[in-house]
Amino acid sequence: MVKALRWIVFAIAVLAMNFPIVVTLITSLKSQRELSTNPGLWISRPTFDNYLEVLTQTSRFNIYAYLLNSTVAALIGTGLAIVLAFPAAYAIARSEAGKRLVLPIVINLRAVPLIIFAIPLYMMYQWLGLLDTRIGLGLILTIVNAPLALVILVNAISDVPVELDEAAKVDGASSLQVMMMIVRPVIRPALVTTFIFGFITAWNEFLFGLMLTTSRAVPMTVGASFFFAASGGGVKWGTASAVMMLGALPPALLGLVMYRQISGSMTAGAVKG
Amino acid sequence: MALVTRAEGRMYLTPLVGFLLLFLGFPAIVNLIYSVSTVTFETLRSPVLSGLGNYVAVLNDREFWSSAWFSLRFGLLTASAECLIGLFLAIFLAPLLSKRPVLMAPLMLPLMVAPAMVGLMYRLVLHEFAGPVPYYLFEWFGDSPAFLDINNAFRTLVVVETLQWTPFAFLLFYMAYSAIPLDVREASSLDGASPLEIVRWIDLPLMKPTLVIAFFIRFIDGFRVFDNVYALTGSGAGGSTTSLSIYIYQAFFKEGAIGKAVAASVVLFLASFIVLHGLNRLAGRRKG
Repeated sequence: MVKALRWIVFAIAVLAMNFPIVVTLITSLKSQRELSTNPGLWISRPTFDNYLEVLTQTSRFNIYAYLLNSTVAALIGTGLAIVLAFPAAYAIARSEAGKRLVLPIVINLRAVPLIIFAIPLYMMYQWLGLLDTRIGLGLILTIVNAPLALVILVNAISDVPVELDEAAKVDGASSLQVMMMIVRPVIRPALVTTFIFGFITAWNEFLFGLMLTTSRAVPMTVGASFFFAASGGGVKWGTASAVMMLGALPPALLGLVMYRQISGSMTAGAVKG
Repeated sequence: MALVTRAEGRMYLTPLVGFLLLFLGFPAIVNLIYSVSTVTFETLRSPVLSGLGNYVAVLNDREFWSSAWFSLRFGLLTASAECLIGLFLAIFLAPLLSKRPVLMAPLMLPLMVAPAMVGLMYRLVLHEFAGPVPYYLFEWFGDSPAFLDINNAFRTLVVVETLQWTPFAFLLFYMAYSAIPLDVREASSLDGASPLEIVRWIDLPLMKPTLVIAFFIRFIDGFRVFDNVYALTGSGAGGSTTSLSIYIYQAFFKEGAIGKAVAASVVLFLASFIVLHGLNRLAGRRKG
């Protein structure tokens, strides 16, 4: 009896929280004609026409460009965040440096509204010629990813037994060698998690994409809204839905495959942060 | 012998610190200078110092205070709702989830979708002709509210934000709940405690730190909300959905009021600094 109730609550929660995704998926599979008569949650004649249109008619809005921009910027933003955070995390976990100032400041960064920095960054980018470039967007995404990357990696390195480092040290390894050849392979799972989580975060970022790009480097989150700009006959809901499904797919797939690791890192960032 | 000397440690910290100084320290200084200057898009590189006029303008701007009020209410309401629903789901669904961990995946899916994208999706969901929600409300009740007009937009946004981020609170609570040793609960149930009593007197006290942290994180994220509000209403609905983040964005991009936007940024920075400082001291005291 209670068990049935648990299943019912589970079903309601899943449906309610994923409702916009369900509606968008259904809408993306309806033909233009069906959409005008049937806004409900069933499909009488499913079709992939909307997806075909989005993927083949790219003269006005090119979804491939948005997907590529998001991919490149997210890869830079995640890769660079790890490259910067890993040695810092090693120093914090294994030496006296950085515990007092760097770690608390970077952790608190997660809670600071980043819009505070957006306007000067916009000006700075104008001077440096980084406006509307993938590299420019990627550099900002590095800032977005750095706090959580640092926390996850500090936790992971702290869990590595110090004896491993000591043994290598006795054998004459420098601290750089210990970091790269002993610690790095051991915490590989944490590095992968950081990467996946950072990639999802970067892909889903919107504010800086909106402010710092206009045409060449527009990421998927911003590009999707272009399809809502009414073109004469109002929004074409079928194609707009197909665009949103395609744009949401990469992080959603990554998340569904890696949900266990991600839940671990989310709580790491929250609990120890 | 230290494994890593202090000097080596500093060296390893340098790249990250340098990067942050360049991308956050420099902008912070620009913020401070420009906030006490007269500057337009034409004179962007040569601001003229002009005192505290921008701050006076911001603090006298009714829109600034109404957006601060929006952010505060939005943050408190969504954080409370998310934590309450998340807590209920975590405890009530725990027996189901501990046996079938894969059920976590659909519950976590909303966290993987960009808030901006979710905002766009709700434009479809709530659209008066194309959206299923108004459609069914008309079918069943003969009427449907205008979800995004000036009277309802705030409530609609609270629901949208809550539905997307309840999974986050749920996830933290579920992890904390699962970490409580089973024998603690078994012992109290042998002593005759009812399930509700166990939740009240065993689980909740043990989960208290997580409850505080989850509420705080969700409050901050709600307070600085931008993406889904911008995508869904674009601060429309008669300005009734302008959060502080959107206020700053609009002052800069729409009005070109750079001084005002930057001064508002500094005010927001000071506010977050004070709040974070207080919380850190609180956390420090708790750790002892």
